[in-house]
Parts: sequence; structure tokens; C-alpha cells
Amino acid sequence: MSELVRLTEVTKVYQGGITGALNGVSVAVEKGEFAAIMGPSGSGKSTMLNLVAGLDRPSSGTVTVGGTDLGKLGEAGLARFRRDHIGFVFQFFYLLPNLTALENILIPAQLKGNVVPGRARELLEQLAIKEVADRYPALLSGGQQQRVAIARALINNPTLLLADEPTGALDTHTGDQVMELLGELHRHGQTILLVTHDAKLATRHAARVISVMDGKIVDDARLESPDRTASEVIRVRGEEVSR
Amino acid sequence: MTAVLVKAFRDLRRRRLQAVVVFVTTLLAVGTGTIALTLIAQTSDPYQTAFEAQKGAHLVVDFDGKVDPGALAGTPAAIGASAFAGPYRATDMQFQSGGHKYTVTTIARDNPGGDVGQLRITGGRWPSSSNEIALTRSFADLNHVSLGDRLRVLSVPQASILTVVGVVVDIDELRADVGGQQHAWVIESAFASLTTKGASFYQMDYRFSSDPTSAQLQAHLDTLRASVPPDSITGSISYIFARTVFHISTEILTGVLVAFSVFALAATAAIVANLVTGIVISAYREIGIMKAVGFTPTQVIGVFVLQILVPTATASVIGIPAAMVLSQPLLASNSQALGLAYQPTYSPLLGLLALAGALLIVTIAALLPAFRAGRLKPAIVIANAAAPRGHSGRWLRRLASQARLPRSVVLGLGDATARPVRALLTLLAVVLGVATVVVALGETRTFNEIYSYEGHIGKVDVVVAKSPALADADTTKLINSQPETGRVVAQAFANITAHGIADPVNTLTFRGDSASLGYLLTSGRWFSGPGEVVANGGFLQDAHLNVGDSFTGSVNGAALKLRIVGVVYDFTSGPGGHILMLDWTTLAAGVPDLFPSSYMVTLKSGSNVDAYVRRLAAAQPDLLDVQAASTGNTAFLSVIAVVLLGIAGLIALIAIAGIFNTVLLNTRERLRDTATLKTLGMSPRQVIAMVATSGGFLALLGGLIAVPAGVALYRVLFDQLSALGGNTTPPSFYDVFATWELIAIPIVGVAVAIAAATIPGRWAARTNVVEVLHAE
Repeated sequence: MSELVRLTEVTKVYQGGITGALNGVSVAVEKGEFAAIMGPSGSGKSTMLNLVAGLDRPSSGTVTVGGTDLGKLGEAGLARFRRDHIGFVFQFFYLLPNLTALENILIPAQLKGNVVPGRARELLEQLAIKEVADRYPALLSGGQQQRVAIARALINNPTLLLADEPTGALDTHTGDQVMELLGELHRHGQTILLVTHDAKLATRHAARVISVMDGKIVDDARLESPDRTASEVIRVRGEEVSR
Repeated sequence: MTAVLVKAFRDLRRRRLQAVVVFVTTLLAVGTGTIALTLIAQTSDPYQTAFEAQKGAHLVVDFDGKVDPGALAGTPAAIGASAFAGPYRATDMQFQSGGHKYTVTTIARDNPGGDVGQLRITGGRWPSSSNEIALTRSFADLNHVSLGDRLRVLSVPQASILTVVGVVVDIDELRADVGGQQHAWVIESAFASLTTKGASFYQMDYRFSSDPTSAQLQAHLDTLRASVPPDSITGSISYIFARTVFHISTEILTGVLVAFSVFALAATAAIVANLVTGIVISAYREIGIMKAVGFTPTQVIGVFVLQILVPTATASVIGIPAAMVLSQPLLASNSQALGLAYQPTYSPLLGLLALAGALLIVTIAALLPAFRAGRLKPAIVIANAAAPRGHSGRWLRRLASQARLPRSVVLGLGDATARPVRALLTLLAVVLGVATVVVALGETRTFNEIYSYEGHIGKVDVVVAKSPALADADTTKLINSQPETGRVVAQAFANITAHGIADPVNTLTFRGDSASLGYLLTSGRWFSGPGEVVANGGFLQDAHLNVGDSFTGSVNGAALKLRIVGVVYDFTSGPGGHILMLDWTTLAAGVPDLFPSSYMVTLKSGSNVDAYVRRLAAAQPDLLDVQAASTGNTAFLSVIAVVLLGIAGLIALIAIAGIFNTVLLNTRERLRDTATLKTLGMSPRQVIAMVATSGGFLALLGGLIAVPAGVALYRVLFDQLSALGGNTTPPSFYDVFATWELIAIPIVGVAVAIAAATIPGRWAARTNVVEVLHAE
């Protein structure tokens, strides 16, 4: 597998912040991986995701995605990069309320200048939300909204799918369904970087769990490796949290 | 109460930009309204002051020179005048000064005082010897004649020189710049040498114990007419007419100014209502918290209304006095024309009225959305955190999508109409702004067009004024002998008495191809032979005549059978004025000594006008005044143009502020959506395009409504203006806009709106996605 994402000595200090959100983080993600970034609130996991998406810039260090150094791109370049390479799924879905489900899904493609209603319908079918295509977000359940958000993230066939607490606003059952869906996408070759604070969720679905604490990576476990079981990752995580 | 104040002032600090929008729009609106109110309210002020101070005559009547002056002495008692002056001997006198020749009505008078019609000396002194003269300040200023200048009298065979020793204000005269022939004064002993036999007349000034009405003045004139031989009264001017003409620019502007003030306040009310609605929407959860901690609905309303009233009151406190100061130059010009030492006049009552009006309108505009805030249920708004989003505009987005417009444009169109009430209020502001500009442009252009037409611009190249001392035949021969002379129309002034019209009617008698002068007819046709006349609307109205009707007039005691064949559009006669135009042959029999006073010459194509003027003037330097037909004095039109376009500009600025305000509110409300779109790959340029589209679309829609509305309003206002002179607006005056202009106006509006929308657009494009989404 080839490397898709690389963070090198990345530090992020927010304005006015005494301590950094990220402190010299270096990590790489391979193409085709399903990696989970796990950590408690304020650990810096979402900051890592935002840096990879080009939504934020590191205070120091470099972020490279698909060979592109994001630090060298301007705002318009970053927008094009996201359009072409990134699919983003949010905790609170962030569907545009005045657009129907289908229109929401089509937005990233239309911003690229593409008209791909066929692909959108295909995704609606694939994600089992065909019947809600013409409904507005306010009329959809949380699970349906998140599926629409996933379809929107996939419309441009992104190289990398980023999911920030995608089940955080869903009940357990619906959350499991969404995670199953992400697992299915991964099995079809989609690279996924998931941010979650839920260790069980991370270990159940991701093949690799990167634990972040106080802006540093404290553990990086590939669960397919025989010596790193899910329970061990959870144990490590528990120790870190209790410390 | 303290809590309400504290909360309102804290919110005001937090919402500085919105406060600035309210401040600016209110400042512009109260400024516009105050300027309009000040001009309207002060219409009669300086004139009235001077009229009382100088014991102005309510009625000035000219009597034929053949009337026995002893008989005139009994006329004041006949009409119940409380005071009178005269009879003064008077004559039309032509003189030359600084290369130009002028005609004034010279009056014999030994002193400027008296019980009626006192003359106020504003420069120099009263003439004391027979070679001295006093002029009106109005005439001297207009024609740049100064004290000490020597005037060469041309209207009598023995040319004499008069030195200007005094400049006076005569409250009973029309302004020189509006076209009235001015008076000049010499002492009694000097008069005889300045007139010729049969060329003098008498003037009487009458004053009554209280200001008479028009009808009363008319009755007095009828009594006077009955007390003297027929046709003895050759002219009259009432104080009402003089005052109206004095304030002609303000009179003309009044209707438009009132309309513009209403527009400005309506646009501001729309913007304020929009703004408060926006604040309520953005503070949805906060309202719930306020109510949860104990604010009553009234206190919640108070917090929102106060936030608007503070910048409104500040803008009013600054704007009202500033507008009063800005109005002063126009008022000053009126006072200066009267020779009054200009005292800036500020009416505290007017200021308070403007302040109360502004606060009332803005409060009403703010109250409606504030009531909504007061009624919100705390539990619901706290739980929902944000107001329901505007979901309208789907149809528009779909249409745009079908038209394959770029997605950012499609989204912008949807945003523009997402909140229909907001869109409608913004449209209202835009429509008012653009319509005002259309009206102002139209009115200004039509005034210029009227001026061009009445001045025969483009039809006549040279105007030759002749001294009575030079024979008509010699003048005609001289003009026709010039190789460049193409066409000559001679013009004479006469007075005709017409049944049903109190004063003798000013009559223009033409010799030559007068149809070529281009007088604008609103109905009928130009006269083509003896007995046919063209009249202005005011004459037809007062004489109860129509085109095709015949009437009997008289001139020099001789009866004239006249038939109306056309109606001429006329402003020169002023409100209530009368004019007749007819052919030379109609009067020649009744007036054997009829002679032209001027000749309007059209040169052959390619002729050098200046060379022609120089050559002709040199041929008779003392007896001819030869001038290139110029655009003349347009100061009066300039004042109107400046006021109209200036106020229209202010209202247009309010409309721009309205667009800016709406786009700003939309952008703030949709900040999360914009952040989401940026996450999905919307570039900064696309964000700006989206935001600019929302502003541009409203401006386009507003422009498309405003242009026809503005044109219609312009027509209504101009019809009213035409009616002032008893005119019907000719269709050609409606046609002052080129098609491309009517298309360009909304396009320019869109461009300006896009520019205004770019500011919040850039702000949205620069918004930090992480911060926005994190804050959610």
C-alpha cells in the first residue's frame, strides 16, 4: 500500500492558547486504510482531521495528502483540493437546510462543475435512502441525514473520507448502521480517517487506532497485528485517560 | 429598567456594524427629509419679511400715458386701498453697458421712501442729479453692472450717459433671473429726456390693510378698469404673483421634495424592520435565556427597540442640524436676491418635528419584529437554539439549476429569497432608491428640454434687439444684406385685452416663418393667417375657451376677432400667466405703430456665428444689440438639478445600505452553511459569487420594478408641474429616457449592489471554517 497522508512534526497552537492543540505530531496513513483517531475531548483529534482536510493550517510542520503539501496551497487551492480529494462527514451532518437530500448530495460535484445525477441516485440506492431524495433535511431522521451526508462526501469519489464523530449525534443502533456503512465502503477500497472518542467503536470498525492525548500520539495500533487486540488498545487508552 | 438599559447598550456594542447601518440610513433619511421640509417651510419667509419691511404693494398697475394723472389720484379710494404711491411716470428705456444692451422700465421718482413700495438701498445712494440712475440689485447682479458704471441711453435720439449711483431692492418686482423686465429709477427732472412722445405710462402702487386674496385683487382690478377709460390699464402685478415667481424654484420642487422625503423615510423603515428582524433571528436562543431569567415580554421588546432608537436618535441629532445647515445656501440665495442681510434661519420646531417623525417611523418599524421576540416561548427557543431557517426561494433555485447556472449563483439566488419578508422590504428600499433616481433624472432633463425649446436653441442662431430709434425697415434691410442670413423672424410685443381676463394679455406678434421657431403645441396647430391665435393653457382655462373657439379682443380700442387654433406649452408666463401668439397681419391694422423689438435670425449652414454677430453689431453699434443665441442663464435650472439629483443620490445610498444590510444579515445567518460549503470545496471566489448574487438579484428585481414605476411617477409629477402653468404635458416630454438608459439603470444598480455585497461576501469567504463549525 502507498502512503496517502503524512503529518510531519505538526504543531498547532490556537490563538491565545497556552498549550498546543497538537505538539509535534508525526504520523502517516496508507491508501486503503481505515484508521481511527481516538482520544478524549480536547485531545487534538479533530484538529488533526481539520489539518488533513486543509480546513486549518499547522503552526509548524507539514501536512501532505496524496503527495500534495497543503501548506503550499492558497485558500482557492485548498478548496479545489477538498473538492477533488476529500469527503467530509460531520457529527451534526451539516446538511444545507434549504436543499433537498439529492441537492445536498450533488453540491460538491456541482461546485466542481460536474453534473452527475446518475452517480447521486446510485449513492442514494447504495446507502438505502433512495426514498428521501426529494425531502428536505428537516424531514429526515438523524440516521437518514448522516447517510445523506456520507453520500455527499462520496459524490466526487474522494481519495480520502474524513469522518468526525459521525455517530455522535445518533442513537446506538443508527450509529452502528452508519459505522457498518463506513466499513462496507472501506472494504470496497475507500481510505477512511475516523475521529471518535469512543474506543469500542474505533476498535470494532477500524483496522488501525491512533490514540491521541494532549496533542500527542500516545499509541498507534494496527489491530490486524496479533499482538494488538482491541481489548489491549482499549486498555492502553484507559491507562492514558486515567493518568 | 436598568436591566433593559444594560442589556440594550451591551447588545449595541456587540452589534456595532448593525448600529452603523441604522445610523447611516437614518442620517441620510432625516437629512433628506429635513432639507425638503426646510425648503418647503421657508418658501414664503424671506419674501414676507422683506414685503412687510418695505411696505410692499399688494397691487402694481400700469396705466396708459394718455390717462389723466389727476384721475388716477382717485383710484385708491375706489378700491379701498389703505395706502398708495404714484402715479409715477415710467418708460421703457434701452441702454448699453459693457458691450451689452438692456431694456429696463425707468421710473421717475425723487425718493425711495413712501407709504407703499419702499425701495431699500443696498448699495450706493439715491440719484440726486439728472445724469444718475438706480438699478435693482437683481438686475445688477445678473448682468454684472456695478456702482459707478456709465450707461449709454440708446432709446432716445439724444444719447445721454447715466451713472449708476444706487442699487436697490424692489419687493414688488419679479426676479431678473426668472425673466422679469426690471425697473430703474431716475429723479423726476431727468425723466423727460429719457422718453419719447407717447412712450411713457403711469404706474400706481396700492397697499391694503390686510393681505388680499387673488379673487379680491381681481375684483379691485375690475373696479379700476371701470373707473378709467377703456384699455387704460396696460398691465398689473400682484404680490401673490411676484411671491410665487420669486419662489418659483421651490414651488417647482415642492411636490418632488415631498415625494422624495416620503421615499427616504419609507426606505429607512424597511431597512430598520429588516435589521431588527435579523437581530431577533440571530438572538433566538438569547431571547429564551432573557425570558428565563425574568425579562418580561415588554422588557424584551424594549431591549430591541432601544438598540435601534439609540443610533436613530444619534443620527437625528447630527443629521437634522446638518441638513438645516446644508439647506441654507438655497435659502440664502433667496434672501440675497432680496438684499436682506442673510440671517441663517433654523426652526427648532421643524427640527423637533423631523426628530419626532424619524423616531416614530423607526420605532414602528422596529416594534413589529420586536413584538415577535417578546412573544417567543423561552423553552422552545432555548431548546431549538436557532430560529427556523428561511426555506423559500426553492422555485427560483430550481429554475436557475435548470438554466445550468453555476452552483454558487444558484445558491445565491436561493439565499436572496430565503426570507420573503426580508426580500420584500429590501426590494422596497431598492425600488424607492432607483425610482427616485429615475424621477430626478427625468425632471432635470425635462427642465433642460423646456429651457432649450423656449429659448429656441438649435432653431435660432442670432438674436438682434433693436432700439426704437432705428427704423424697422433699415434693420430688416441690414440683416437681410448679410450673406449668411438664412431666415429672419421679427417679433413684437403688444397687449391685447380679452373678455374674461382681467389684465391685458401679453401677446407675441411674429413676422416671418414663425412656425420654424419650434414652439411646442400641445394641441391644435400653429397659426397660419390673420385672426388665428395660439394661446397657452392658462389663457384657455381662465377665458373658458377651447381650440376652435373664437373670441373678441381689443387693442388700442380697436376690436379684434380672434380664433384659437392651437395651445402652446408655456412656462415663461409663470403660474397663472397668459400669453397669445399671432401673426403680424392680425395686429397690423389695429396697431399702426407696431414695430418689432427683436429679430430672430437663423444662419445658413456652416456660417460663423461670432463673425456674423461682430459684423452686424459693428454696423449699428448704438442702435442694435446683437447676441449669439446662447443657452443663457441656467442658474435656476442648476439649482433644481442639484437639489433633485442630490436628494436622489442620498436615497440611492439608502437603498445601497438596504442591500448591504440584507446581504450582511443573510451571510451571518448562513454562516454555518457557508462553512459547510467551504468544507465541501467551495472556493473563496465561489463564496463571494454566491453572496454577491444574492445582493445583485434583489437589485436587479428592484431595478426592473423601479424603472417603469419611476417613469410613471415622473410623468405624474411632471403633469402636476405642467398644470402649474395651465399646461398639458406634451408626449415628447415624456420621452426623455433613451431605451439603453432604462436598461442601464438597473444594470448599474446591480453592479453597485454587487459591489456592496462583496464586503460581506469577502467576510464570508475569509471565515474560518473550523471556528464556525466548532462554535456550533
